[in-house]
Amino acid sequence: MRNASRQDGDEAELIERSRKGDSESFGILVERYQRRVVGVALAVVHNQDDAIELAQETFIRAFENLSKFESRSSFSTWLYRIAANLAIDFWRREGRHVVLHGEDADNEISRLPSAHGDSFKEVSRSELSERLKKALEQLTPEHRAVILLREVEGLSYDEISDVLQCPRGTVMSRLHYAREHLRGILKDVGGD
Amino acid sequence: MSLMLGPFEDGELEPNEMQEVAFHLARCDSCTKALGAYSALGRELRTLTPAPQLAGFSATVIARIDKLPQPIWNRVARFFGRGSDFVGSGFAWSSAVAAVAVVTAVLITPYAEEFASRRLPYASSTLARVEHTATALPEKLAQNATGEAARLAAERDAEAVASSDSHAVISRLESDIPSVAVWSEPRTDTTVIWLPDQP
Repeated sequence: MRNASRQDGDEAELIERSRKGDSESFGILVERYQRRVVGVALAVVHNQDDAIELAQETFIRAFENLSKFESRSSFSTWLYRIAANLAIDFWRREGRHVVLHGEDADNEISRLPSAHGDSFKEVSRSELSERLKKALEQLTPEHRAVILLREVEGLSYDEISDVLQCPRGTVMSRLHYAREHLRGILKDVGGD
Repeated sequence: MSLMLGPFEDGELEPNEMQEVAFHLARCDSCTKALGAYSALGRELRTLTPAPQLAGFSATVIARIDKLPQPIWNRVARFFGRGSDFVGSGFAWSSAVAAVAVVTAVLITPYAEEFASRRLPYASSTLARVEHTATALPEKLAQNATGEAARLAAERDAEAVASSDSHAVISRLESDIPSVAVWSEPRTDTTVIWLPDQP
């Protein structure tokens, strides 16, 4: 049975036990990181059911590949990286979203009731949320992942760079792009 | 400057850059508004993303993991691990050592017997003596016997000595006549006089 002392056990020891096939020890690691792993997957696929399924798959892949885990990066970052890769692959494979790039994205997002006209001031909060969701879905998974990992999951730029396996400069430019395209929606209403 | 607003909001700039942006914000309304929008956007995104429902998540993951085929070494380790929970690790280790000892004995015993028989000191010295006799005798006989028959007989006898009982040692050759060989066999306590066939 799990008890407090085991839950507080050293992570390295839990990993070592898990490597030897102790699924109970791995269960403690799952409970420790499940919320964040789901958050990473959710940042990319933007669908809770898919994110939970992908998070489960993430932990199973991690368990199967524990022998390959080296302590050069933290266990949590290693998990998030698996989750991000699985989610991006899933998102691309499913191909059910419309992704707009460059000018198309700029045009589409500019048609959202962002900063133009007084009507936007009357937009309700729930409607604002819907529009924000729509705007998020129109971003590429990489841009969406960067802004949600930063704003919702609170990852640092270096952590995002590690999880998404891209340079820190790329993280900064993607974040700037995503913010610029989303902030217009809040310009009038969100200026509270 | 607009590129630095996001990292400023996130606290990801170097200290001197943070100071630079702060000075700029003090006198730039548009950048201050943009920064406010970034901050509001972060709040909205956190509101927008509800906490996922994770009841039973870890149990589902572990159930799926338990269905996975486990490597053989993990299964063995888990077997002994479970055994030690019930009986104690001493028994588990004793069982493991005993199993290894039995396997080792079964595999190694035939080789060990063969090895021991080769290494017995008495056996090795006897073999050496026979070999020495078998090589030295024909030379001595050949010196005493002048005829072809004598040489052949010496070779035949040497072969007989080498292939017979290892204790059969020819102690000496006694004949001074070149065509006659005389030797003693201490084991049978006899003296052998060998005469070649007359032509």
